[in-house]
Amino acid sequence: MNQEINMPAPGKILAEAIDRGQSALSEFQSKRLLACYGVPVTREALAKDAGQAMEIARRIGGPVALKACSALLMHKSERGLVMLNLKSDDEVGRAYEKLASAAGFELEGVLVQEMVDGQRELMAGLMRDSQFGPCVMLGLGGVLTEAMDDAVMRMAPVNENDVAGMMAGLRCKDILGAFRGQSPADALTLVAVLTGLGRIGLEHESVAEIDINPLVISPKGRIVAVDALVVLKKGKSHAVTH
Amino acid sequence: MLSRIDQSPLYRVANPRSIVFFGGSNKIESMGTNILMSLLGMGFDGPVFPVHPKEKTVQGLTAYASVLDLPVTPDLAVMVLPTASVNPTIEQCGRMGIRQVVVVSGGFKEVGGEGPTLEYEMVEICRRYGITLIGPNCLGVANPHHKLNTTFLPFEGRPGFIGLASQSGSFITQMFNYMARHHLGFSTAFSVGNSACIDIVDCLDYLGACPHTRVITLYIEGLTRGRAFVETARAISPQKPIVALYVGGSPAGRKAGSSHTGAMAGPDRLYDGIFRQAGIIRAANLTELFDFAWVLGTQPKPRSRGVVIQTHSGGPGAVAADAVGRTGLTLPDLSVQTLEALQPYVPHTGSVANPVDLTFSKNPMDFFAAIPKVLLEDNNVAMLMVYFLIPLPVIRRAMAQMGVAPERLESEAGQMVAEYARAFSQLHLQARKPVVGYTWRGLEERFVQLLMENGVPLFPEPERAARALAALVRYHEWRKVINADPVTG
Repeated sequence: MNQEINMPAPGKILAEAIDRGQSALSEFQSKRLLACYGVPVTREALAKDAGQAMEIARRIGGPVALKACSALLMHKSERGLVMLNLKSDDEVGRAYEKLASAAGFELEGVLVQEMVDGQRELMAGLMRDSQFGPCVMLGLGGVLTEAMDDAVMRMAPVNENDVAGMMAGLRCKDILGAFRGQSPADALTLVAVLTGLGRIGLEHESVAEIDINPLVISPKGRIVAVDALVVLKKGKSHAVTH
Repeated sequence: MLSRIDQSPLYRVANPRSIVFFGGSNKIESMGTNILMSLLGMGFDGPVFPVHPKEKTVQGLTAYASVLDLPVTPDLAVMVLPTASVNPTIEQCGRMGIRQVVVVSGGFKEVGGEGPTLEYEMVEICRRYGITLIGPNCLGVANPHHKLNTTFLPFEGRPGFIGLASQSGSFITQMFNYMARHHLGFSTAFSVGNSACIDIVDCLDYLGACPHTRVITLYIEGLTRGRAFVETARAISPQKPIVALYVGGSPAGRKAGSSHTGAMAGPDRLYDGIFRQAGIIRAANLTELFDFAWVLGTQPKPRSRGVVIQTHSGGPGAVAADAVGRTGLTLPDLSVQTLEALQPYVPHTGSVANPVDLTFSKNPMDFFAAIPKVLLEDNNVAMLMVYFLIPLPVIRRAMAQMGVAPERLESEAGQMVAEYARAFSQLHLQARKPVVGYTWRGLEERFVQLLMENGVPLFPEPERAARALAALVRYHEWRKVINADPVTG
């Protein structure tokens, strides 16, 4: 029986990754999964050659970021596999060539992504606890994530009240409001992000952990997942869909 | 959630009509004898049947060689036996028709070797006979309303309104004295031990339905039915406040994960979130657990976060104001009407800002009646926090100056203090606003004792008073949100 026809998109994304024996989704796959659950993600596409990269960059318009994309890459920026603020065809083309060869193994492609403006960086995530099952997290994100260690958790499913409590529970809660001339963070979208993460945890046993970091708040208050990682459960790499 | 307490499997554990006791003897060095004496010392109303292989009488009661010899089938069996005898004895009790058992004995899952297997067998026996079992490795139950105490220390004090479900038996038995000194008391307290059959979730469920319990306290080191815990707590907390102390979640307990989320998800952070989600107020330590329960169990709902501090000394008022500010509560200005109404009572040295610092009272009684009454009538004021300093030596000294005969000083000073306490307690009862006090005088002093007796929470430092008021506010703010929610409300 071929279930693929009726399989919802998120299930398909996961099933394919599991079939290929991946232990995590690539950034591109991760964001496709998150988008199915109402998480706003950067406008982006995968390029397989420099020409494609330039074309995607033109379509997005404005400066773009290029990122080496592979399920094997969990910490791209630390390995220098991210290039930011590329403005011309020429810059995009050269960045493509550099990234394609730098990883040292075959990539899924190079991700061409809109640059999101915003100094306020959050993180949101999902983890599983042996007692409480899937749990979601909201915290201060970006490079200071671990150093500031400012995060709150709730058990999934979460509702609007829970998310309001999470926002109020952060030490850095002031950056969610009107902040240095910038608009308050769009609270409804934050609710969507955290309920969405919780639903993924409840609906997909194969997902072990998720990081969205950074989850950027733009000066206008728009919320966008700029980077994301979906970690799959171990020992499932040989599972196939029947 | 239980709609009636007698639907709980724990009902006859906490309210047995008769008890068979295993492990008590006439040797005072045995744990069993001590627990039996605690039970008898409390004056349990029903018959207690000691079972002992050799003795004819135990602690003055007729002893039975075997449970099978008993004239009736008791509601509850309490066992303080060597590990190896426990399971065969439960089996005998099961055959006898006994359906409630407390196993104090240890040597099960908490130790290695045979322990876990023995505990598994215990659960199987209980399942076969439909036995509700607390323990093993616990101190059982104290229900002062039913004169029941299966713990080590003799009960002190009085029945009260604080329910407790604890993963440490010490926090039941070793708190009797603490509670008594504060004029508090347990409604019912459970020590769950290894939780082989009955766990903290079952106890929480029972206390939720228990009519004597106005506030539930929990001591948690780790849960084994996390999601059931949250569901149960969520069903109870909109009606009855729950306060929890969780320990065991230091950052060292964090697991390394592949993600930031995994790395940052320590148990302390997780329990913190779970408690908030379930409407449970978290206490930072044991003292706070009972401070919060005290205020949540005695004080009405505050209308806002505004606290007014009443003092006659500057420093004690200032530190209280500082403490209130740190908890996120506010110090509102008094209304114009209040300022006018206070005029006759405030000497020119006093201040009618917040804190209201009277420096001294023209008539000492004003401090306990007229002044707090005016403050409580102010719509800006949701809660009142009063600094008390009533030193008997000063009152005696003043009375002696006024010509009171030396032999009458003690009783007249005592009477005066009692009148102050009566006036303030009266006001507290009528206030419909939360009122707490703080003092650095001794808990044993007559004025302090009288106030506590009348249900005024009195703390030995303003920080504790402020945090307890903040906990009260947090609970009611959460309840308001939950009850307004069309889905969960």
